[in-house]
Amino acid sequence: MDKNNKIPFQEDNYTHNINRNGERTLDRRGFMKTLVGAAGLFAISTLPWGAVAAKELMGLGEKDYARQKIAEVSKVAVGDSVDFSFPSEHDSAILIRLSEKKYVAYQNACTHLRCPVFWVKEEGEMICPCHHGKFNASTGEPTAGPPRRPLPEIKLEIDNGVIYAIGVKRYEA
Amino acid sequence: MKRSHLHVAILCVILAVNVVLTQLVVHQYFFQNYAAVLIYGGFNLLLFPVAVFVYKHDRRQRGVNTHE
Repeated sequence: MDKNNKIPFQEDNYTHNINRNGERTLDRRGFMKTLVGAAGLFAISTLPWGAVAAKELMGLGEKDYARQKIAEVSKVAVGDSVDFSFPSEHDSAILIRLSEKKYVAYQNACTHLRCPVFWVKEEGEMICPCHHGKFNASTGEPTAGPPRRPLPEIKLEIDNGVIYAIGVKRYEA
Repeated sequence: MKRSHLHVAILCVILAVNVVLTQLVVHQYFFQNYAAVLIYGGFNLLLFPVAVFVYKHDRRQRGVNTHE
């Protein structure tokens, strides 16, 4: 005789009137609810972007640097360079006077393996001695060798014949 | 299109616009157009109440008892 497919004894556990058939099917209204929820999710997900954008607009992302004297204009001939460190004593940097009025300064740790890049006046280039990486002096962009990223540029200010470093430009790849 | 599917279609369009706006927000942030980020993000935020309104409107039109 078949033992399966039959109720062994009379059940009386008070759950016979709970009808959950089709509980998990997605009806029209459930689908609309999902869409509204997704719209809410998108709305919330843009909040952090708005927050950081507002922060940038209000200039809160800019770092404060102490103004630092580098050299006097009269002591730097056109085509010469001056080594200094900015913003801290461990961030070596180089100032180059490219022409009568044009000064540029970079943090001179090579963007390859951080060897100190130096200025070669005769070639008009900045050269890294370790792997012969070269940088364009007027932009800081790498032109040859292993480095692929530009040198961080330092903002300068010339006041009463003295050159000051006033900040480091934000890195833009 | 069936009349009853109008609201579903509207919600789908809202969601598609949400996707587009979110992508615009991210890209404009990358290109540092921060004002554009705020504008697109604002539209994205506004779309949520619109979606809720469409949903509620649909329920009201069908005379659904909210206390079911």
